[in-house]
Amino acid sequence: MLAYLLMSGIATGALYAMMAIGLVLVYRSTGHINFSHGELFMFGGFIAYTFFVILGVPYFLSLILAVIGGFVLGILSDRAVYRPLIKAPPLTMVLATVGFSFFLKGIARYFWGSMEGGDYVAFPAAMDPSPIPIGSIMVFPQQLLILAGAIVFVVGFTIFFRMTRAGKMMQATSENPTAAYLSGIRVERVYTLTWGAGSAIAAAAAVLMAPMTLLSPDVGFQLLLKAFAATVLGGLGSMPGAIVGGLLVGILESLGGGYVHSGVQDVSAFIVIIIVLILRPAGIFGVRNIRDT
Amino acid sequence: MQALLARRNIVAVGIIVFAILPTFANAYIVFVANLALMYILLSVGLNMLLGYAGQLAFPNAALFGVGAYTSGLLRLEFDLPYWITLPAGAAFATLIGLAIALPALRLRGLYLALATIAFAQAALWVFGHWNSVTYGGAGFRVPPMDFSPLPIDPPTGIYYLSLIIVLVAVPLGWNIVRSRIGRAWVALRESEVAAETLGIDLTRYKAYAYVVSGLYAGTAGALFSALLGIVTPESFDLFQVIVHFCMVIVGGIGSLWGGVLGAVILVGLLEVLRTFRDLQEIAFGGLLLFTVLVVPGGAIAMIKRYLPGWNEPLRRIGKKR
Repeated sequence: MLAYLLMSGIATGALYAMMAIGLVLVYRSTGHINFSHGELFMFGGFIAYTFFVILGVPYFLSLILAVIGGFVLGILSDRAVYRPLIKAPPLTMVLATVGFSFFLKGIARYFWGSMEGGDYVAFPAAMDPSPIPIGSIMVFPQQLLILAGAIVFVVGFTIFFRMTRAGKMMQATSENPTAAYLSGIRVERVYTLTWGAGSAIAAAAAVLMAPMTLLSPDVGFQLLLKAFAATVLGGLGSMPGAIVGGLLVGILESLGGGYVHSGVQDVSAFIVIIIVLILRPAGIFGVRNIRDT
Repeated sequence: MQALLARRNIVAVGIIVFAILPTFANAYIVFVANLALMYILLSVGLNMLLGYAGQLAFPNAALFGVGAYTSGLLRLEFDLPYWITLPAGAAFATLIGLAIALPALRLRGLYLALATIAFAQAALWVFGHWNSVTYGGAGFRVPPMDFSPLPIDPPTGIYYLSLIIVLVAVPLGWNIVRSRIGRAWVALRESEVAAETLGIDLTRYKAYAYVVSGLYAGTAGALFSALLGIVTPESFDLFQVIVHFCMVIVGGIGSLWGGVLGAVILVGLLEVLRTFRDLQEIAFGGLLLFTVLVVPGGAIAMIKRYLPGWNEPLRRIGKKR
C-alpha cells in the first residue's frame, strides 16, 4: 500500500514539478505569475488529443507535436498579452492572464468540449495499461513513462539552461535585465522564449498526464493550483524548489488520499498553499531576494 | 445637452426605471433586472477591495457563496423569515471575510492572490463535499421568501427588497470611499510605506476593506439564494470570480460608479449567452483582457472624457502602466 501510494505520488508529483518549472521560469525572468499557465497545459493536451485520437498520429509523435504547438501558443500569447504589459504592476498582469485563461478555456470548450458528449474526453492509453510488477509493487506503465518523460524534460532543460547560448541569455536576463540589455541581449526576445518554453513544458506534462486521467477544458485550473502549491512550498522563484515542491505535493496528496480520506487529494494543494504562506512564505528553499510584490 | 447626461441625471433616471419596471415588464425582465441589482452590490463591494484598497484578492465569489448558503440553509432547515436569513447570511459572510483578512494582512501582491485563490477553491470544495450540511454537489432548493403580511408575491418582493438594499448600499459605499476610510485605502494602494508614514494604520484599514467587501458580497449572496430558489456549488466557482472582476474592470477599476455601470451592462451579456458556457467564457475572458490592454480605465474613463458631471475624487488607478 505505502509503496504503491508513494509510486503514484511521485508520478503525479513529477507532473506538478514540470508545471511548476514553467511557472518559476516565467516568474524568475519577468516577475509575473502566469495565471493562464493551466490553460496552456490544457491546450497542449487537446493539441495532442487532436493528433493522437482524431488524426491517428502515433503517441510519441503527438507528444512532440503538442510540445511544438505549446511553444508556438506560448509565443503567440506573449505577443498578444504579456509583452504589452511586461512593465505593468502585478495587479494588471494577473487580471490580464486570468482573462486570457478564460478566453483559452472557452475556445477549448467550443472546439473540443462536446466531442464525446459532456465536457470530458478520454485520452486512450499510449501503451498496454495493465500494471507490471517491479519487485513487490505493481506499477502502471504510464507512471513509468511520466517519470521517464519528466526526467528527460528536466535534464534536457537543465542542459539547455546551463550549456546553450539561449539558456545563458535567459539566466542573465533573470539575474539582471538591465545589465543583460546593456551587454547586447535582446531582453524582449528572451522573455518571448521564456513564455514559449514554459508553455511547451506544460504541454508535455499534459500529454504525459492525459492517458492517466480524462481531459476537459476545466482541467487546467486544478493543475495550476497544484503548481502554485509546489512553487510556494519550494520557494517562489527557486528551480530546485519547484521540483522538490512538486514531488512533495504529489506524495502528500497521494498519502493523504490513501490513508486519510479520498477527498483530501483535492484539497491538499489549497491547504499547502495557505499553511506555507501563513507560516513560511519563503518556502523550503528560503528564496532570499523575493521580489517585493 | 451634455449637461443633461451628467451622472446625477443618469442615476436618477436609472432609479426611476428600476422602480417602475415590475409594473410593465414581464417576469423574465424583472428577474434579469434583479440579477443586475445583485451584481451591483457585488461589484461595489469588490471595487472597494480591489480598486480602492488595491488588494489583489479573490475571496469575493466564495463570500458570495457563504452568504447564499447561510441564508438558504437557514430558510430551508429552520423556516426562518427573510428579515432574519438575509442579515444572517450577510453577517456570516462578513465574519468569514474578517477571518480571511487576518492571514491575508500579512501577505501582499502575488502572494495574496495565491493565498486567496486557494481559499476560494477550498470554500468551493467545502460547499461541494460537506454533504451533511450543504447537500453536496447537487445543492438544495430554497423555499420562496414569504412576504406576508405584505400583499406581494415573492418575485416582486425580492425585487423591491433588492432595490431598497442597493439604494442604501451604493450611497453608503459612495460615502465610505469619500470618507477617511476611502482616503486611507487609496493612500495604502498607492504606497504602503507612504501611507504608514502618514500615520495610517495599514492593518486596520485593510481589514475594513475585507469586512466591507464581505458584507456586500454576503448580502448579494443572500439575495441570490432567494432569487434563484436553488443553491449549488457551481454558482460560486471561478467563473463567478471572473464575472465579478469583469464588471469592476470593464466598468472602471477604482471607480464606484464605473462598477455599477459595469454590473448593469454585463448582466445583459451574461443573460444573452446564458446557455453557451463556452461563449460566456470567451466573451468575459476576452473582454477582461481587452479592457486591461486597451482601455485600462474602463468604460467610466471614456464617459469622463466626453461628459461633464461624472468626476470622482481619488481616482487614478488603471492609468499607470
